[in-house]
Amino acid sequence: MDSIWESKERSLKRRIRLDRSSEELGQQGYRRVICNDPQANAPFNYRGNSISTTKYNLFTFLPKGLFEQFRRVANVYFLFVAILSLAPFSAVQSVTNIFPLVLVLSISLSKEAFEDWRRFKNDRKINSSFVEVLEGDTWVQTTWSKLVVGSIVKIKSKEYFPADMLLLSSSNDEGLCYIETSNLDGESNLKTRRALENTWKYATPYEARNFRGEIHCEHPNDLLYTFTGNLVMDEETFPISTEQILLRGCSLQNTSWIIGIVTFTGHETKVMMNALNVPSKRSRLDKKIDILIYFLFGMLFVMSMIGGISCVLFINPQLWYLELQIDTGDIFSASPKAMVGVLMTLSLITLYNTIIPVSLYVSIEIIKFFQSTQFINKDLNMYHEETNMGAQARTSNLNDELGQVEYIFSDKTGTLTQNVMEFCMCSIGGIIYGSSLSDDQRSDTYGMRIPSEQLHVNRPKCEFYEKGFNFCDQRLMGGAWRNEENPEVCKEFFRCLAVCHSALPDEESTSKEINYQVSSPDEAALVVAAKNLGFFFHRRTTTSVIVRESHVQGLGSIQDVEYKILNVLEFSSSRKRQSVICAHPSGQLILYCKGADTAIYQRLEDNKSPIAVATWNHLRKFASEGLRTLCVAYRFLDFSMYQSWNAMFQEARSSLTDREQRIHQVAELIEEQLILLGCVAIEDKLQDGVPTCIHTLLQAGIKIWVLTGDKMETAINVGYAACGLIDANRRQLVISSDTKGDSTEVEIKDWVKQNLVFYLEDGKEHRITNGNNTTLVIDGKCLEYALESDLHESFFELSCQCFSVICCRVTPLQKAQVTTLIRYNARKVTLSIGDGANDVSMIQAAHIGVAVRGQEGMQAVMASDFAISQFRFLTDLLLVHGRLSYVRISKVVTYFFYKNILLTLTQFWFTLFCGYSSTNFYDDWYQSLYNVLFTSLPVFAIGIFDQDVSPKISKQCPQLYKTGIENLYFRWQLLGRWLFFSIFQSFIIFYFSILTGFSGKRLGKILGQWDVGTLAFSSVVIAVNFRLLIGNSFLTLWHFASILGSFVVWIIFLIFYTSIYSIWDFEENVYGQLLVPISTLDFWFILCLSPVAVLAADLAFEGFQRIFMPYDYQIIQDEELSPTGRNDQQLSKGLRAWLLQPS
Amino acid sequence: MASRNPTNPNHASSSQPANSRETNPQPRILLRKPKYNRFTQQELPGCRPFLTPQWIITIFMLVGVIFIPIGVGALLASRSVVEIVHRYETECIPEIHRINKLAYIQNDSISKDCSKVLKVQKHMKAPIYIYYQLDHFYQNHRRYVKSRSNEQLLYGLRDNSTKSSCGPETNSNGVPIVPCGLIAWSLFNDTYKFSLFEDIELHVNKTNIAWKSDREHKFGKKVYPFNFQNGSLIGGAKLDPSVPLSDQEDLIVWMRISALPTFRKLYGRIEVDLEADDYITVEIQNNYNTYSFGGKKSLVLSTTSWLGGKNDTLGKAYVVTGILCILLAVVFFLSHIIMPSRFDPKNISGHKYDTVDQ
Repeated sequence: MDSIWESKERSLKRRIRLDRSSEELGQQGYRRVICNDPQANAPFNYRGNSISTTKYNLFTFLPKGLFEQFRRVANVYFLFVAILSLAPFSAVQSVTNIFPLVLVLSISLSKEAFEDWRRFKNDRKINSSFVEVLEGDTWVQTTWSKLVVGSIVKIKSKEYFPADMLLLSSSNDEGLCYIETSNLDGESNLKTRRALENTWKYATPYEARNFRGEIHCEHPNDLLYTFTGNLVMDEETFPISTEQILLRGCSLQNTSWIIGIVTFTGHETKVMMNALNVPSKRSRLDKKIDILIYFLFGMLFVMSMIGGISCVLFINPQLWYLELQIDTGDIFSASPKAMVGVLMTLSLITLYNTIIPVSLYVSIEIIKFFQSTQFINKDLNMYHEETNMGAQARTSNLNDELGQVEYIFSDKTGTLTQNVMEFCMCSIGGIIYGSSLSDDQRSDTYGMRIPSEQLHVNRPKCEFYEKGFNFCDQRLMGGAWRNEENPEVCKEFFRCLAVCHSALPDEESTSKEINYQVSSPDEAALVVAAKNLGFFFHRRTTTSVIVRESHVQGLGSIQDVEYKILNVLEFSSSRKRQSVICAHPSGQLILYCKGADTAIYQRLEDNKSPIAVATWNHLRKFASEGLRTLCVAYRFLDFSMYQSWNAMFQEARSSLTDREQRIHQVAELIEEQLILLGCVAIEDKLQDGVPTCIHTLLQAGIKIWVLTGDKMETAINVGYAACGLIDANRRQLVISSDTKGDSTEVEIKDWVKQNLVFYLEDGKEHRITNGNNTTLVIDGKCLEYALESDLHESFFELSCQCFSVICCRVTPLQKAQVTTLIRYNARKVTLSIGDGANDVSMIQAAHIGVAVRGQEGMQAVMASDFAISQFRFLTDLLLVHGRLSYVRISKVVTYFFYKNILLTLTQFWFTLFCGYSSTNFYDDWYQSLYNVLFTSLPVFAIGIFDQDVSPKISKQCPQLYKTGIENLYFRWQLLGRWLFFSIFQSFIIFYFSILTGFSGKRLGKILGQWDVGTLAFSSVVIAVNFRLLIGNSFLTLWHFASILGSFVVWIIFLIFYTSIYSIWDFEENVYGQLLVPISTLDFWFILCLSPVAVLAADLAFEGFQRIFMPYDYQIIQDEELSPTGRNDQQLSKGLRAWLLQPS
Repeated sequence: MASRNPTNPNHASSSQPANSRETNPQPRILLRKPKYNRFTQQELPGCRPFLTPQWIITIFMLVGVIFIPIGVGALLASRSVVEIVHRYETECIPEIHRINKLAYIQNDSISKDCSKVLKVQKHMKAPIYIYYQLDHFYQNHRRYVKSRSNEQLLYGLRDNSTKSSCGPETNSNGVPIVPCGLIAWSLFNDTYKFSLFEDIELHVNKTNIAWKSDREHKFGKKVYPFNFQNGSLIGGAKLDPSVPLSDQEDLIVWMRISALPTFRKLYGRIEVDLEADDYITVEIQNNYNTYSFGGKKSLVLSTTSWLGGKNDTLGKAYVVTGILCILLAVVFFLSHIIMPSRFDPKNISGHKYDTVDQ
């Protein structure tokens, strides 16, 4: 049981927020931490470092836990009924109404208690871990819980940081340390943190003791990747950024020790702030169940009202044997008739309580738990050898939702593709290097109508192949570039690749073995490319990058060149570029910049130069081959100009408000007048099985949208390659800002508007003649306007007409916006799948978030509901598990609905025959155990074992998935049918049972009301259990066992219960009640007749529907699974042919 | 700056990470390869029954073939039962009193004797069961059903406490009543005496008319009626205070409440055969008030078959169900022939995904 609750919890805790709002700091002042003086911080009332992640404590457990439980409608109802049943007018013994509620609540509460106990133990363990704190001039061991803000602590290698800390110094001379952040974001690569230069010296207790300073920083928040603050020392202010912050939850690696100052403790640390409870997603079916329960409420009230009103009209003093004129304090003595009506209505509510299935939620929870832990997590089809991981259901709430997905929003890089980047072509100074795909290969890849894995040719491996490098051009390799037309450009180009990055070499090693720690795989590909081209980046110090360069003039001679890194202007998805300002040993200041073409071309000194124009064409060419491109540019900087800029930059860096934004603004100032060197093309291979998977999903009726940050050409190309989201036979609508060149925003907006209107009109005609086969391609800039409030409706309308939509150059926010647009306008189930941090918002925005475990860390996984290792496993996840889960849960719910109405209605009919009074037809205990004992086993059999078609078939016939999309198993019509049948059947059972109560039996004796009730109840139990067998197309031993088990339980219960004599019963009790009816033949006759008569109706309906109006799944069941069982072999072949035909 | 790290005096870069994958086992959960298991792989064996027309027709025919004979048998058994039903609630009131039946029945000074002659139509084999049948009498009304004390019926007045559940017939004149409650209070009190051809008395056996379990386990052998029918309102029959409740079979029968407002209750047995065309004189003591609520009263003499008393409905239910099943089988058979089966892949909707208009 553990892992699923655990993962559920984790999914709640680890929602990582991406938005960065630094306004708070400005608005609410700042936090002051006086260092090395715990007492001085006392006035601020900072919280201690002990944490408690438990939801409850000993005293709050019951009230709080119960409160949580009573947020469920059914539980509230049962509480209401339980309270009603304590009143004197209750028709049933209160204990029998309280019992099921208590049972259900205690199951849920013990689950909660168990989880909380584990959390508590875990907390206690963490709180009592030891840490070394500076006291006086010695390090003293103390527990984590006693740590306070402002104290100085020492952490040794491999230890975890007990709180958020400011790094003062480390065993490293330059205040450097390495940390691992996998607890925070799951990324296992090491990250560096560097202390401020001024604090390096506080490295021993004697020195640290004298450290005086004050930290002014932001208030506690949950943003993991930002930090704004200043360290004030000796009236000097030094900016602090995330570079100096060590977060709780991370661990120290590869560094002997560090010394730090505690800034945030306990629940104020970022990791704990991130542990806020995010409301969990609920599936649409769950919400529909609520509606169903409201409907049942309605039905209950109507039935009770009918009884109540009729009762008033019925009671009449002429029925002298009731002595209504005498007040006995019960319902019928209530003097005003209206009172009698009200009380009788309430009394009937207690009597009809069985209509609300109290155990429904618990049953569904248990079933879903099984589905996710036993089926999804253990499915061998979704197990990936390379990563040694299977699928992981991080929440079990959404299993059934997986069976109803209609829109998939997919990221491209790392999701559709492997995210194994290989440098394969480049364009330097307007000349293309590297081999492109031959025409043959290309037509193979993109020309075929049915895409398949074999046909998709990845680029052949070249001579010098190395991971990340698949480039071969004799003009550049082995130093040959010196003889090229423009060696200086080549040199700068390679230098840029070798210098402008944030990679970290693993250790001193030779060029063959070196391994880089990188944040994204394309960065590694570029560094590796530079290495292979003669610019070997092999060491990074805190201030410089050391590159082993082959000399420009002398072939073969090698020299280590140290580039002093002055500033790093980091990559971000909004900037789309990264720059490094470095000083060549010669003293020359250079800015190297690499980034997306749009970002670079805007900032070129001359973007109409021949090189720029040629490169622009090359970019298009690369992109059309499905390659990712990056532009490379540089700029020489004037020293004085740099200095004035640097001053601004430092100011921006130490600003306390809007720091990010300011840094961006300042960066803009220097990233201009760039000189274009060329561009690189990186290949990102498609993952195995992606085309087949997408093809299958399309057949299943799912619409697939690709949302990518890549260029339009790349995206369209992947659209071709992966699966024919686009192909030659489909119409392509392109809405792109590029076609308009340099336009103002208003113009673009008009352009988008025109396009949308035009395509919409055009599309209507087109669709009539050609069907729905249009693909819409839109880029980020146009999308921005298309998503605005006045246009988003037409955009939505247009996208609905399209077979597929590809959005390129979109930001993470836009991904989420698109998802949200469809989610709320189409009101269809949406699924987002992605692998990187940029997909997190989209994953959270959709109904279901699926993460592909990839190269880009665990952020997506942390935010997701399901995690898989390969995109292709989506087929199994949706078509097999989602579909089956949907079918099962739907069946369980409708079955619950049916069986409870059936039982309650028999009681209702009886009410009509007993003077509209609330006399029980059944013994109280029969009723209250009906849901939890006598009919619960089949529910689990359906929920866990049922298959309408086998998993194999549901993958072979993706069309079957439409049952979920069209919600065939849980439509209101279907519920209406079940309702009709339960009304009809309850009447039959009631009528047949009551028949036995009239005539004389053996020895002339007559059966009483309780005998008749027992008979009717037995008939209901039999009918309801056997109902399972009808129309169910898959029956395992467990199905039979569950039915048999239910009977056995009922019989055993009956035997025991009727042999207990209780004098406390108000009415004639059921003691000895079993022997009387079973000694009569009538009992057995009716017991055989009622269920058969009842189920014959079901059988007739099911059979008729199945034979003459079959659903798709029924045709396929019949055709594919029992070809020999049918005399018509031809049809079976027909089906196979149909399955194989190309779409 | 002086080095502070004695082990690595000169290399600042020595603290660069070694191969991080080796030194840091990744803390994320590594799911090992799941073991093959038919349950988790959802490959449990099972049968896949299909509701083919053949199957449905077979099932319905089978049910029909089994049920119709059973039904016919039950019907025959029921028909073999000879039953004389004599409704008397109006006949037994003298003509002059029929204007106000209620006044008549409530007037104790008028004799309620009523003599009727019944003709036996067919041979009636002993035992012949005597029932009384009431109509519009809601024994199953909640107020009525609850008004009893099982404890008192079995153990008597153990602690002299009155039974609240017995309201409104708990006490009479401040003294608890045994047996208390509306059910006992309203005990049926018409009596019948039978004689053949007016002179030969037919003995009515009134023992063993209640279920054994009731007699033995629910009504005390040492509990005697006490203070019963002593109140201002007399409900029904009085009980002999010297006979324990377990032997008061009329009461026991009456207290096994009926499921429907129209019901029969066993009155006794005649243990001699009656021949066709015999005349039976019944002396009815018409005491019980059904007039205030317009209920009927009937006297029923009935033989039994192997299945019990006359109950055509049971047989009919079987026959009707059987016939319906056979009809369904025929309908399925015909429509299977006439209508083409839609079990054809062509009928699978969404044949081509790209032509589906959402």
